[in-house]
Amino acid sequence: MSKIKKKRLGFVLDMTPLVDITFLLLTFFMFTAKFKSESENQQKVEIKRPKTQADTAKLADKDLVMIKVGVDSVLKDTAWYVSMINEQDVVDLRRAMIEAKFPGVDEKTVSFKVMDTVWLGKIIQSCRMVNQKASFAMDADRRLRYEWVEKAVNEMRKNRATTFNFVTEKKQGL
Amino acid sequence: MAGGGGDLGGGKSQRRGKKGKRKAKKRLGFRLDMTPLVDITFLLLTFFMLTTSMITPQTMEMNVPPELDVPIEVKQSELLTVRLRDDGTIFYNMGMDAPEKIALKALRKVIVDQNVQLKNRCIVVLKASSNAPYGMVVTILDELNLAEPDILAGLKAAGINERKRKFTVAPMEAKDQEEIKGL
Repeated sequence: MSKIKKKRLGFVLDMTPLVDITFLLLTFFMFTAKFKSESENQQKVEIKRPKTQADTAKLADKDLVMIKVGVDSVLKDTAWYVSMINEQDVVDLRRAMIEAKFPGVDEKTVSFKVMDTVWLGKIIQSCRMVNQKASFAMDADRRLRYEWVEKAVNEMRKNRATTFNFVTEKKQGL
Repeated sequence: MAGGGGDLGGGKSQRRGKKGKRKAKKRLGFRLDMTPLVDITFLLLTFFMLTTSMITPQTMEMNVPPELDVPIEVKQSELLTVRLRDDGTIFYNMGMDAPEKIALKALRKVIVDQNVQLKNRCIVVLKASSNAPYGMVVTILDELNLAEPDILAGLKAAGINERKRKFTVAPMEAKDQEEIKGL
């Protein structure tokens, strides 16, 4: 009597579900990924945002004028960094600032480093002219003196921009 | 992972019985090596997973009164002033009362109580010193925002369903500085 020889199969693992899930995750991360904009690339300041817990809205991703206040990590000076988000606005604002002879402006400037309130007022005015609908967002470092924010708020008020946003970070562990 | 796709297109290739004389040719299903595809997919997945930051910045909306030539008059008795000194100490006072030192944690209760007591007529003004840390200013604003649900609940209990006045920020003047200097 001969025994039926069992054919020995190699170890086979069905990869289909794994690949399915992987593709799913890949698609998810691809769609949620948001890359740094040009203006974010230009600046060298690190901002520690103030933490809040109240219900707050998400930061708009268009029609926005961003005023960042931070300490330059190399030069150790504090300044306002004004930039606009919409691509057309960036171009228009740059043109306006070249016309106004903003110091250090060139064809590639996206974020304007402002050191005094006079220029800050002028640039905010230009932003208002470039895009009427644009809202203002203040992104300042929490360790800075309030004066920096106050001055910017005053300049915004002068230009009738009475509603603006403070960029904050959600407090974790609630 | 190598050979992972080996079984994918396998199909039914079991040998049937040996009935026919002709030896049936084993038919192979369509096989596609999935390995490179899976490799690249994993690579991309890892890349996107590492570059995506999940925490997006939040915003806190603020309204400031526009610059007017004619100052709007408000009753002193309806004015709750919160002042922030250079060193981060908070003072509060109602109307013409003398400023009183207050801890951040106790602030919310005072704000809620006064708002409910005055039934919508209370105006909270935050005056922050130029040298105070900005983070502290936002923390107080956050407290004021957090007080809102409690105020609403309080007003509702008193039969009012509408919330009219909120808080605002105002510049700190020399007079304000002087008042809280020695406290």
